[in-house]
Amino acid sequence: MTDRARPFKRVLVANRGEIAVRIIRACREMGIESVAVYSDVDRFAAHVRAADLALRIGPAPAAQSYLSIDALLAAARATHAEAIHPGYGFLAERAAFAAAVEDAGLAFVGPGSQAIAAVGDKLAARRLAISVGVPVLPGTLEPVDGSDPAQLAAIVVAAEGIGYPLLVKAAAGGGGRGMRTVDRAEDLPESVRAASGEALAAFGDGAVYLERQVQPARHIEVQLLGDATGRVIALGERDCSIQRRHQKLVEEAPAPGLTDAQRREVHDRAIRIAVAAGLRNAATAEFLFDTESRFWFLEVNARLQVEHGITELISGVDIVHEQLSLAAGRPLSAEARAAGERAGEPAGHAIEVRISLEDPARGFLPLAGRIGRFTMPAGPGVRVDTAIEAGERVPSDYDPLVAKLMVHGSDRAVAIERLARALDETEIGGVQTTLPFHRFVAVSPDFAAGRLSTGFVEDHWAGPAARQAAVGRALLAAGLASFHGSPEPAASTAPARAPGSGPSDATGWLAAARAEGVSRWPRGSGR
Amino acid sequence: MNPDASGLTRPDASGPVRDALEPTRGEPVVVRAVLDGDTLVVGPDEAGGRIEWRGPGHAILAQAPTDGGSMDWVRTRLALGPARRRAGSGVIEREVLIDGWLVEVELEIERRAALRARARRAAVDARNPDATQPGRRRPANLAADLRADLPGRIAGISVAPGDAVTAGQPLLVIEAMKMLNEVRAPRDGVVEQVAVVAGQGVELGDLLVRLR
Repeated sequence: MTDRARPFKRVLVANRGEIAVRIIRACREMGIESVAVYSDVDRFAAHVRAADLALRIGPAPAAQSYLSIDALLAAARATHAEAIHPGYGFLAERAAFAAAVEDAGLAFVGPGSQAIAAVGDKLAARRLAISVGVPVLPGTLEPVDGSDPAQLAAIVVAAEGIGYPLLVKAAAGGGGRGMRTVDRAEDLPESVRAASGEALAAFGDGAVYLERQVQPARHIEVQLLGDATGRVIALGERDCSIQRRHQKLVEEAPAPGLTDAQRREVHDRAIRIAVAAGLRNAATAEFLFDTESRFWFLEVNARLQVEHGITELISGVDIVHEQLSLAAGRPLSAEARAAGERAGEPAGHAIEVRISLEDPARGFLPLAGRIGRFTMPAGPGVRVDTAIEAGERVPSDYDPLVAKLMVHGSDRAVAIERLARALDETEIGGVQTTLPFHRFVAVSPDFAAGRLSTGFVEDHWAGPAARQAAVGRALLAAGLASFHGSPEPAASTAPARAPGSGPSDATGWLAAARAEGVSRWPRGSGR
Repeated sequence: MNPDASGLTRPDASGPVRDALEPTRGEPVVVRAVLDGDTLVVGPDEAGGRIEWRGPGHAILAQAPTDGGSMDWVRTRLALGPARRRAGSGVIEREVLIDGWLVEVELEIERRAALRARARRAAVDARNPDATQPGRRRPANLAADLRADLPGRIAGISVAPGDAVTAGQPLLVIEAMKMLNEVRAPRDGVVEQVAVVAGQGVELGDLLVRLR
């Protein structure tokens, strides 16, 4: 049975936005007091309103607030928090942060500093996978510094053995930064130099490595949970193939089209790597699935994943509850263990779309600004994780994600229909979002058929043409609306007046309908 | 704001001006997408489409089938923001949300827009007689207002009011996402107004430079 006593009295949430709200909700459900931290631009943000306590940690730039280990630890001391949950992004995968939290005598809600260090370096993770017999993509296994001419010459030779096209990746990388695709040998030295420089700027570490590029391929990842006894379970896998700039746009669980044997195979491989890394708490192992149905290990994300919610929907396990309980040293709950047993034969299907402030007609250019109207969907099988309200400003200092829309259905077809319905209910004004792309996915025959690939966006999405068609309709609609005004009286110009009650029946439709009704209904019919 | 102060209001308008350009009934309007530049002239009795309101700010655009075979009209849900009158002009601005796209539109009575365009051309021709030479007349459809097509910060301005500029000449630089984006003159002209200062933040659609 699950231990119902609260695992901590008070937990500090070292994050902002929807994930901070998500974690604060879990705390409240478990009777834990939550502490929010905020930068100056977030003083009145949703996570601050949601938490029991809130503390300023610095100015808007993340480096001086959400990335400041000193400020976060000081906030934890000041509020007597017993544990820190890092969420995702920011410091979630910095081993130094986890170590500092542990050294301060607090619980770190995530894999410990040692596990983060073991898998945080992608090259170390590749070597770890090989050591437990899990196939990795052909590539190099030792770090290369792009600014060293001798190392540069050696990597060009190594590349011949890997074959083109290949990827130059940052060993400390993440989120697509420090990554370059190289098609020809002559472009390699410059790409290595550029990726190395970018990695140095972004992660403070310029080490890069090479990996064969497999395309078309699918991106499939396994949700893992581990406890202090060394037991690791897989809660199921997710397909996250639909990406742009190596960042995910649409995720679903389970991965469609896998056989039970393939599903168990990838779960088993993920568990082997996690056990070897000494994983505690929650993490995700990522794989490529090629057209010959082979899984290739990519990396481990030693943290709560953005898309964890869809696994919660199909497994019935609240992963954040589980994380908090595991961080207190408790074993995996009976519910989680049972869900792990069932993960090979998943029931139901869940899909998530990440609604971000980006222009899908202009290469998903990130945007910022003030949100106007903001209507989120509801009803059966719909979950929305967001921290935005109508009229709120989304600062350009952080991630442009505004909402995660998740749908859940008895099978994939039901989930897709539900997604289309939920997207129809969704309205976001003020700033362009990725909604048009998600609407396209929801009615795409390729998506419905499960023809997923990391090249889905390039292969199928014609953003400028889609926008142009919508603009044509918008112009017509706005023009027509100018002759038939909205039924509402404008707030400050006129007293309320019933439609059709006077000369300002600007719509004309009601009057027309009445006239039509009168002429159609036989007079004196006795009704 | 007094919405009746604009030139759009007919003296005999019987009701208050609301979202609709009520006094325009009977006159076609020209609708322009601010970011995209596309324009469309719409008359009051557009045979191919109609608007069905479903509540404040919500409506259905119904369009006649174009394939001939189908009898059903194509229906698209959309949301319309409040109509805002641009200060000191007869232009109405509003936001349209359709299929997830955000489209900022400007509306003006077509006759009025044509008059303004003619007046502008005449003023330019008077100042610059060369422009009336055949082949030198610039296209009339190039916007005189340059607006920000991405949000960011003004990193530098290289022109001042009164400067003559040629098509393609850099006018200013917007820094967005750590990238510098040059804004160039779409045509020859004279800078009438620089609406921003260096270091200032700009939002999508903000006026940057007005040419004449």
